[in-house]
Amino acid sequence: MTTILGSFSHKIDRRENRQELPWGRWGIRSIALTYLSLMLIIPLLVIFKDGLQGGLAGLWRAISLPVAWHALVLTLWTAAVMVVVNTFMGVLTAYVLVRYEFPAKSLFNAIIDLPLAIPTLVTGVMLVVLYGPQQALGAWLVREWGLRIIFAPPGIILALLFITFPFVVRTVQPVLLSLDRVQEDAAATLGAGAWTIFRRITLPALILPVTSGALLSFARAIGEFGSIIIVAGNIPLYSQTAAVYVFGEVESENRVGASAMSIVMLAIAFVLILSVDWLQRYRQKGRQ
Amino acid sequence: MIKKFVVSLMVLIVLSVVAACAQSGGNPGPAGDSGSARSSVNLILGAYTTPREAYGQLIPLFEGQWKQKTGQDISFEASYLGSGAQSRAIVEGFEADIAALSLEADITRIEQASLITHDWKDTPTKGMVSTSIVVLGVRPGNPKEIRDWADLARPGIEILTPNPRTSGGAMWNILALYGAARRGYVEGVPAGDEAAAQAFLEAVLSNVTVMDKGARESITNYEQGVGDVIITYENEILVGQKGGQDYGYIIPRSTILIENPIAVIDSHVDKHGSREAAEAFVDFLLSEEAQAIFAEFGLRSVDPEVAQATADRYPAVEDLFTIDEFGGWTEATPKFFGDDGIFSQAIANVQRGS
Amino acid sequence: MKNVAIPVVSRPAFQYDIWRRRLLILIVVAYVGFLIIAPLAALSAGAFREGLGAMIAVLAQPDVLASFWRTLLISLITVIVHGVFGTITAWVLVRHHFPGRSFINGLIDMPFAVSPVVVGYILLLLFGRNGILAPLLTFFDIKVAFAMPGMILATLFVTLPFMVRELIPVLKAFGVRQEQAAATMGANGWQTFWLVTFPALRWGFIYGLILTFARALGEFGAVLVIGGGVQGRTETATLYIFRALDERQYIGAYSAALVLGLFSLILVIGTDLLRRKEK
Repeated sequence: MTTILGSFSHKIDRRENRQELPWGRWGIRSIALTYLSLMLIIPLLVIFKDGLQGGLAGLWRAISLPVAWHALVLTLWTAAVMVVVNTFMGVLTAYVLVRYEFPAKSLFNAIIDLPLAIPTLVTGVMLVVLYGPQQALGAWLVREWGLRIIFAPPGIILALLFITFPFVVRTVQPVLLSLDRVQEDAAATLGAGAWTIFRRITLPALILPVTSGALLSFARAIGEFGSIIIVAGNIPLYSQTAAVYVFGEVESENRVGASAMSIVMLAIAFVLILSVDWLQRYRQKGRQ
Repeated sequence: MIKKFVVSLMVLIVLSVVAACAQSGGNPGPAGDSGSARSSVNLILGAYTTPREAYGQLIPLFEGQWKQKTGQDISFEASYLGSGAQSRAIVEGFEADIAALSLEADITRIEQASLITHDWKDTPTKGMVSTSIVVLGVRPGNPKEIRDWADLARPGIEILTPNPRTSGGAMWNILALYGAARRGYVEGVPAGDEAAAQAFLEAVLSNVTVMDKGARESITNYEQGVGDVIITYENEILVGQKGGQDYGYIIPRSTILIENPIAVIDSHVDKHGSREAAEAFVDFLLSEEAQAIFAEFGLRSVDPEVAQATADRYPAVEDLFTIDEFGGWTEATPKFFGDDGIFSQAIANVQRGS
Repeated sequence: MKNVAIPVVSRPAFQYDIWRRRLLILIVVAYVGFLIIAPLAALSAGAFREGLGAMIAVLAQPDVLASFWRTLLISLITVIVHGVFGTITAWVLVRHHFPGRSFINGLIDMPFAVSPVVVGYILLLLFGRNGILAPLLTFFDIKVAFAMPGMILATLFVTLPFMVRELIPVLKAFGVRQEQAAATMGANGWQTFWLVTFPALRWGFIYGLILTFARALGEFGAVLVIGGGVQGRTETATLYIFRALDERQYIGAYSAALVLGLFSLILVIGTDLLRRKEK
């Protein structure tokens, strides 16, 4: 997500955007509203209606089944681990791409976007082919370390890392690029080491895009299906994620179970997104 | 000027949408005069994944024969999905003329949606078009020395079997395993002892590495080198071997007979005007010629003569039982695969213990 | 993306500075290598295993070409719809204030979190034989489920966030002042939008289109459930890959995947190059 001028958003006077503009207010609003209703709101309402058939009690019952609950927890913690790693590596990658030079950097930069372009089904197949237990690397890991990656939760994290890699990098990159280096240079003259400069000057300026990218990855990870179903092993109560569980429930005609889980997944993503949005605006207010 | 641009954009969108619908042929040909009066007819087959290759040969053969017999051109459209998925797609609106699925329960679902209105079981083969059995696929040379079901419970054996929630094939697998155990053909499990049979199921399940979403995905995974043993259809193994894959298989002493049903879907063939061709196709599939082709592609024939002729390729099973062992699918599905079913309980116990 | 900032202060050229630099680059390259490049290489190796000729032969089969055509059509329509309505929506969300705005804003990202299977499932609930809108569809004799319209709708849903998300930050940053200035000089709504706002949005808009397109090309789960993957009727490029894997036609599967991936990649790179040239 290339937010070209994102770094300036904290400088915008909110009042400015608030002023009413003199043309077709309701005309244009209704177009947007219709579009959103058709494309977004109605489908969401359908799931909610379907999953809440038995009321909130029914929803809770469906979610608290051991298989369902485990799938949800697995999805959340693997997504969380992935977000931590992805954020760290994403920021590092963006930093290296913006601040350093090395051979074939442009090509390298272009490759970053690849996960967005590869169908998730293929991602899964490739990861199994490369890192599965039948290959040298996978077999060695199992033999020497008892560590199973593919067909186990770590494989889920691996697939998620692939798929969401561009998100953090691309949100951080443009902001980093347009960052004014005056403060960093000043700190350097005062004797600050590189890590200190990064930690106390660069990083704080990146908080917005970093959280935005991290959040996007998390939301994306929750719903991921195509690669997980190939890579994860899908053993209920062990390596079965929420999305795969939903698939199983749809296939075995447990509509309530499928919709209930979907509602919970959506609700979690929604709450997270809203909280970060609120946090960002709170931070903006603080600066004014 | 801008307004003109927007208007032309809208027109472009509408045109594209219309073109897209027309291109892919939203609705199949309208029902009109009787089939033979028209020069061509469209048949849509909704099948499960396993007999894909067999139908690949059978369909062109039928097209040629039909053209010769009636002068009419047939164009086939085929969809191959998991049996349950296909059944559900048909119920949800996929207008297949013929359904060829893995288990009877999936045809029953279509029947219950009032799409099949004739007694599809009223044929010499009771509505079945092919059969197979559940077997154990092993690596060349059988390095882990798998002899029968009991070996699957050995520690350290890695097993592949699909997920019963999404795969008809997986349901056959679990029932075969459980049935063999309950009938006393598994060492260490007394006949008739349900608790012991379930314990055996749990022991096997704890060795399962991957639960793919379907039988075909399961075996292609096996071909990538994953797992030591795969519980699958004999048919899948044979098709794979025919395609050059290198694995062997063991026929357990006791296993289940997989019976694959086929049925013409009345409301669709009447709507499309393709009933004559569809029924002829089903009859064709039951003919000796077609059954021999099924046998080529790893399926056991329902035609007694063809079965006899291919007996060397399809050895008899010492103890062959059917879904009737469990009271038919109406009883078996909830008892085994419902939320509190035997399989679901077993999975829960396995994970709790590990 | 070149680093064009010239240091005002000469940086201490300690030995460890260079090594730190190298180490960080190495870590990043290794990470990307394992994570992205290795799978891509395996994909290419699989596709080219029997040579370019075999690849082309497989991809040139009529049903494969048809599936690619279907994917292209669906993706183009998606891009057009979101291009128009996504822009309008982004505009409304940034420039207008109404109750529930943040709520709607939060909803925009929802398609990311919805599992594709659920998308197909929702569409079936709406447009299936026993769906909520089924009577309406029968009345107009329109087919949505197991036909192109359903697949287009599924793709529209999953790609919804991209355009809006791309444009919102740009609209926020590009102040309202210029637009107001234009208004005071007598420009009407459309003129202001086209001559003042849109030029500033241009690259955000294009990136939004590209991302939408790339995502639409790769859509699989939802399209499978609502379309059924009927060869010759509702099979898209990704569904062809799925079928090819099932049929053990690995060259076909990997080649098609490679084509899809490279196609999107070239678009992204191309856009980036154009943009830099303009600057």
